[in-house]
Amino acid sequence: MEFLSKVFIDPFVDMVAAPDFLMQVVWEGLVSGVLYALIALGFVLIFRSSRIFNFAQGIMVVFAALTLVGLHEVGVPAWISFALTLGVMFLLAVGIERVVLRPLVGQPDIILFMATIGITLFLIGGGELIFGGENKRMITEELGIPTGSVVLEPFGGLLILEQKDITAVIGAVALVVALLAFLNYTRMGRAVRALGDDHQAALSVGISLQTIWVLVWFIAGIIALVTGIAWGSRAGVSFALEIIALKALPVLMLGGLESITGAIIGGLAIGVLEKLFEIYWGQPLLGGNTEAWFAYVLALVVLLFRPQGLFGEKIIERV
Amino acid sequence: MKSFTKLVAASVVAAVTAGAAAAESIYVPNLSYRTGPFAATGIPLMNGQRDYIAMLNARDGGIGGIEIEYDECETGYSTEKGVECYEKTKGTAVVTQPWSTGITLQVLPQTNVDQIPILAPGYGFSPMSNGETFQWAFNPPASYWDAASMILQYIADGDMSNLAGKKIAHLHLDHPYGKEPIPLFEAMAEEHGFEFLPIPVGLSEMQNQSAQWLQIRRERPDNVIMWGWGAMNAGALTEAVKTRYPMDQFIGVWWSGHDGDLVALGDDAKGYKSISWSAPAPDAPVMAAIQEQVIDAGKSDVGADELGWVFYQRGILISAMLAEGIRKAQVIHGEGDIDAVQLRDGLASLDFTQERIDEMGLTGMIAPFSTSCTDHTGHSGGWMLEWDGSQFVKASDLLQADRDAIEPLEATAAAAYAEANAPWPMNDGC
Repeated sequence: MEFLSKVFIDPFVDMVAAPDFLMQVVWEGLVSGVLYALIALGFVLIFRSSRIFNFAQGIMVVFAALTLVGLHEVGVPAWISFALTLGVMFLLAVGIERVVLRPLVGQPDIILFMATIGITLFLIGGGELIFGGENKRMITEELGIPTGSVVLEPFGGLLILEQKDITAVIGAVALVVALLAFLNYTRMGRAVRALGDDHQAALSVGISLQTIWVLVWFIAGIIALVTGIAWGSRAGVSFALEIIALKALPVLMLGGLESITGAIIGGLAIGVLEKLFEIYWGQPLLGGNTEAWFAYVLALVVLLFRPQGLFGEKIIERV
Repeated sequence: MKSFTKLVAASVVAAVTAGAAAAESIYVPNLSYRTGPFAATGIPLMNGQRDYIAMLNARDGGIGGIEIEYDECETGYSTEKGVECYEKTKGTAVVTQPWSTGITLQVLPQTNVDQIPILAPGYGFSPMSNGETFQWAFNPPASYWDAASMILQYIADGDMSNLAGKKIAHLHLDHPYGKEPIPLFEAMAEEHGFEFLPIPVGLSEMQNQSAQWLQIRRERPDNVIMWGWGAMNAGALTEAVKTRYPMDQFIGVWWSGHDGDLVALGDDAKGYKSISWSAPAPDAPVMAAIQEQVIDAGKSDVGADELGWVFYQRGILISAMLAEGIRKAQVIHGEGDIDAVQLRDGLASLDFTQERIDEMGLTGMIAPFSTSCTDHTGHSGGWMLEWDGSQFVKASDLLQADRDAIEPLEATAAAAYAEANAPWPMNDGC
């Protein structure tokens, strides 16, 4: 009986008793969720246009952030470093398309997936060679991102909102809106979508596979840079950031590999739910650290009922 | 045919030369982690270890006239890769330096078979201090249980009864390393009447510890003790600043006191403390020797900032302990080219008196300690270091662990380990 009370009553009593704390939990979950969604978006974009599951998305976050910080360390002003980093990510996209993807056109998906593992190893080695493995400070203030906090007192309690978290949320939302506008209202964006819908049909109407691949890898690079700034401003820039990409996997399972909406909603849902579960059930009942597995269990439960994810396409193949 | 004969002859000459060269050096591999999520912690430590050996080779021609061959095998702090590195290097090595509690625990039984000493300064399984049970493992100069005891005594201001009624959180990496002091904390909590609250941090949450710090905000512990490694340290300190947890109530173990993690936080982390068996002493003679023999000679690319870091200097001390073990083994056995079995005798005879510490140029960096056949740790004690906004400074006199409280626990844990891994060879000769 006591156990049932701890599961079904106590958590809700706690939520009502300390609504400010509940708001803080939801806010922290929301911030995490936005950042998970951003990483997942990078995966989705590349998968939609090329059917490649990009294993290198995590290390691209690290590489972009390290390039930004590394350029600033050698004396380049922050915003010029930002622009130059975008240039580096564009060159990386061109290089990946020319050297890795183009020779593998028509190969099975698993070969392309393995190629992205190769890209990951290359970027790890190259990154460590150029920038070293030490933890570096993100140039948050230099980029004009506010670093203070907004303190609110809802219900007579305490709610602390970090300004850099608010900026990250606003930046992520702006990026997603821009991306959706690009995909829906521009010629190139429609070409990306067309390629995602039907490769053969898209090629037959003259859409250039090479150009679109460079474009989507570059967009994934932009997303990686924004994600790197947001995560790096929390705890520094190091190769540990790569691990965060693991959090995008359950988001993709939940939202579907091909859906931008799925990546956004999946990211937000996992961010908020894993935080609520950890605080109100995981820590009191299971000793904590449930965030390591909660998202995967949630995604597996969804997959039981919707194997294609919440927003993925149901693929029927005739045999 | 002529070419074939030449090839064979060349191979024979090369093999003989290589054999002769091997006999003129002592091979000391290091299972390093300069890559991956823990690299920020590993790099300065490995640099310090490497540079001290390079200095000995350059200044003294090695130890006892034998050159020391320092080599690294990269593990990325992964236990699986660490075991591979152990297997790969053990053939000609006189020592294994596993650099992770997880790797140490994995290779511990195998070292009985391979007869190769483990050197795990300030890490590993705390009961390894018991030399009768763990005859091949050494964790000088202080164990994790020593660290936990010193931190508790510092919090209690020397009187453990002051802990009664307090709530103490243990924020730790969810890994064998982070869990290592839990048995000691639980025993102390029961004995002294404080509430012990373990808070694990998973690998994928190291940089986003908001859930853990929300728990700290809710539970309001009197103190937070951190057993963090690599990126977890910076993540925790950032969240502590954000949560406005009082820094003077936040204390880390010695692997959570890395200048590189705190530089980014600067004044925000002022007051944060870390127990440490090593102290920064940039003016110690050994630092000048390394500058002259290694850095100025272009054999190391370590920057000026890193030279002053606690972790770089701790790396120096770790190699100094190994070097002293080799020297002792050479004296005991009367020969320069010692093997792994002989090194064990040297590591069990370390005698870091103040006089010897000064002689080695390590003045101010480490407190005196000595090991023996039965005591593989030495229990030097440690200092509480405090971050002053730009560097770590000593914030206490030398603290000592409560060995009377720890020894029975070590004996029980060692016996339990031996029983669980029976048949376990004991060193009855001690």
